[in-house]
Formats: sequence, C-alpha cells, structure tokens
Amino acid sequence: MKKVALYSGFSALAIVLFGLSLRTGIVQLHTSFWQLLTHHTGTDATTVWQIRLPRALGAAIIGAGLGIAGSIAQGIFRNPLAEPTLIGLSSGATLGTIAVIASGASVYGSKTNAASAVLFAVITALLVQILAPNKGYGFLLTGIAISAILTAVAGLLVAVSQKPGIQSLSFWNFGSLTLLNNQTLKTIAPFIEVGIILSFFVSRRLDAYSLGESSSHYIGINPKRLRLLAIIAMAFLVGASVSAVGSIAFLGLLVPHIVRLLVGPAHRQILTFSAIIGATLLLLADLLARTLFQPHEIPLGLITSLIGAPALIILLRTQKGQWVAND
Amino acid sequence: MIEIKNLSFAHGKNVVFEDFSTVIANNCATLLGGPNGSGKTTLLQLIGGVLKPDSGSIVINGHDISQLKTKEQAELRSIAPQRRIFELAFTVEEIFAIIKQKNRAAHATDVFEALDLYDLFPLKVTELSLGQQQRVSVALALIQSAEYYLLDEPFSAQDSGYTQKLLDLITLLSKTTGILVISHNTGHIAQYFDENIYLS
Repeated sequence: MKKVALYSGFSALAIVLFGLSLRTGIVQLHTSFWQLLTHHTGTDATTVWQIRLPRALGAAIIGAGLGIAGSIAQGIFRNPLAEPTLIGLSSGATLGTIAVIASGASVYGSKTNAASAVLFAVITALLVQILAPNKGYGFLLTGIAISAILTAVAGLLVAVSQKPGIQSLSFWNFGSLTLLNNQTLKTIAPFIEVGIILSFFVSRRLDAYSLGESSSHYIGINPKRLRLLAIIAMAFLVGASVSAVGSIAFLGLLVPHIVRLLVGPAHRQILTFSAIIGATLLLLADLLARTLFQPHEIPLGLITSLIGAPALIILLRTQKGQWVAND
Repeated sequence: MIEIKNLSFAHGKNVVFEDFSTVIANNCATLLGGPNGSGKTTLLQLIGGVLKPDSGSIVINGHDISQLKTKEQAELRSIAPQRRIFELAFTVEEIFAIIKQKNRAAHATDVFEALDLYDLFPLKVTELSLGQQQRVSVALALIQSAEYYLLDEPFSAQDSGYTQKLLDLITLLSKTTGILVISHNTGHIAQYFDENIYLS
C-alpha cells in the first residue's frame, strides 16, 4: 500500500514537472496547451514540440538511466559510496565522446559518438577493476585516480581541438541539456533502453550478490560475469547520457540513497523506483537551471550539486539500517 | 561421492594441503574435524570452487568441478560458509527467496520447521542476533537443491537447544543426501555422524 502510494505520488510529480517543462521557458507561450496539442505549426508549436518536448523527454530518460546506473553501482560493488562517476565510467565516457569529436572521426550527437562513449566507459571501468588492489577502498580510490587522469586528457583535447561542436569544458564537466533535440534523443534512446533492460536482467542476482562474493558463487551465480554485465549496463546508461549532455553530478549517488530509504533492499524495486526518482529529479533540476536566472541558463551540474549534496547529507544523517557494515 | 584426489594447495607460502586425498560419501553425515589452521575451511572453499587447487582434482559424482559452470556446481553441492554477510535490510523471507522455487530442495519446509524459522520470516535479517543469523545462513544452504551439503561451523553461535535441533535435521537429511559438517570441537557431537575425517 505504502509502495503504491509512493509510486503514484512520484509518478504524478514527474508528470507535473514534465508539463511545467513544456510550459515554461524564456519564450512566453501565447497559445493554450490544448490548442498546441492539435496545432503543430506556428512559433509556439515549434517551441514546445521541437525544443521543449525533446528536452523534457531527454531529462526524464537520462534521469531514469542515471538513477538506475547509480543503484546498480551500489549493488554490484556492495558499497554505498560507489557511483558511476567514482568508478571511472563518466570520465571514460567523456573522453570517449570528446576523442571522436576532436579527431574528426565523428560529430556531436551521432551514433558513433554515443557508441564510443559507451565503449570507453566499459574499458575504463574494467581498467579500474584490473588496477585496483583487492581490498578496502582500493577500487574507489583507483577509480578516482583514473578519473582524474582521463578528465585531464579530455580537458586537454577540448583545449587544443579546433573542431566545431567540441563544446566547452563546462558543458562536459557540469552537464547541460541545451543541445538535446529530437535528433540527439533518437541517437541516445536505444542505448539507454539497452542499459535499462540489461540492468533489470541482472537485478535479481544483485540481491543474492549482497550476501558476498563466495556466497553468491555457492548459490550458482558467477560473480565475475555478473560484475561484467553490470558494468556494461552502467556503461550504456552513463555513456549515452554523457555523450549527449555531459556528466551530471550527484544524481547517481543521491537517487539510490533516497530509493533505498523508501522501498527497501530488493533490487528489482530499487531499479524501478530509481528510474522514477531519477527522472523526477532531473526534470526538476533542468527546470530550475532554465528558469532561476532567466534569461541566463546555468549549468545543470551546479543545480544537481547545490541541491543534491545537501540532500545527501541530510539523508545520511537520518538514514538507518540499510547499509549495516562493510565486511 | 566427493573425491579429493592428490590435492595440493598453499596460501602464499603457507602449505595447507600436499598430495591430500580423501572421500566424502553420499547418504551419510561426515564430520570434518581438526585444530585451527588445519585447512578445514580451505578444503570447503576448494570443494566450493572459490579457491582453485595448485594441483590435484576434486570430483563430485564423477564430475571434475574445474570443468563445471558455476550453476552446475551449485546443483551438485550447497555450502554454508562460516560467515555470511547480511548487510542489506532484507526480511528473512526475502533472503530465502534468493533461492528460486525451481532450485529449492524438496525438504525446504522441513528445514524451516526444524529450525523454527517461520517465526523469523517477517523480521529484518540485519536486526537478528548472531545465532539467528547463523540459523538463517545454514538454512539458506540447506534449502538449495543439491546432492551434498557442506556446513562450516554451523553450531558456533547456537545454544544447546538449537545445536540439538540442527543435529537431528542433519541426521534426517543425511538419509537422502551427503552432508559434511566442519567443527573444531568434535567431541560431544561425534556420535551423530557416520564418518569422521580429521585434518592435522
């Protein structure tokens, strides 16, 4: 009962924010919403259907994907600190997407670009796995170190590249939905779908995996294969979003912590709810980024950090019983 | 039958097994004893496939486990490790649901009844006492459908009442399956077992 209320409550909130995203912006609409639904021509129609709709849809899909990726990361590394950014996925994806643009192999928003981001994300995450000492916080620290290197290399490429469409460093590091249009959305949506399907495919095994690596092996789950599948799932989700909107801070860390508090530890439910909360939060963040300082738009990552980080601290102080202890 | 053939294994420089061979029979209960550091848990982890022998082989019902997939190994043997990590606040019922219905042993309900686990079903596993967690952990291994059950120190956190209940359960299950129990304190429970293996 409580869960039904939570699902419908947050879904309703997401829908309201989605509607608001279509209504609000720098351009004032002069046509009513109902008229716009039937009239697809004119300035207002173009603003809503060509500009705001793909952006709102993108926010929902990317938010859902990043929320799910965050929850998978915590589940597969059995660590409440794990987040796609910390384990090298985001920086790998950023380098992957910038590298193909800077080399002229492909342009922003293309399928090649998104695929390269996904591939680099997988390679980086595997590299972190291989290099990390097999104890304590070794892999998180290795992830942070590798991320620093890749972010620096990506920054260097941005600084020296003359290619059009390379975007600014602020775009990649703080994230922005400004460039989302129907074309980019069509490019990344299939990648995110694959990531979501793969995530749900591993979700049940993550429950067993929470009992430890040997335990899951005894039950009949191959931990190495599970980890590889989870990394690929996260790479699809994070890689595709990074290639279109840069890396968005804190969403992947905040969402699973909210969700674990609300729906308990079963991963299938965690993933479903992470999608809803992730979509809601990113719609809200983008709405604020666009409207707070009109007509200026502020980088999305600033909003997610400014709201997400304090929210996380409050959550951690009130949260109880979900992560009892680390082995 | 589980055959340990000419097994050698070392943890770094610490040689635990050198050309060690033994047999664990089916349809009986075997007690594996020995002092601390004699390699009891290591042997279990080798049979379980989380450690790989330096040389020699482990054959369960004719299958060399190094040739089996993780899932195929789990259909042959089930293992209760000495410590299981319960770090997420699942209910006890949700923990048991980790073993899917199609992988459940027919005797699963006997296990739940014998160890009074139905009472614990609604409780969060993270909020249980150490002894209760151990009963959940042992039961989780016993409800998995397998030919052999290997339990590492299943009595260590149990009072005499539950030690007895678990011993009775082991006796019952050993009529149809092979059971191996590790204990460093074998004296008072030896009478419940058909076979003894002592590592020194």
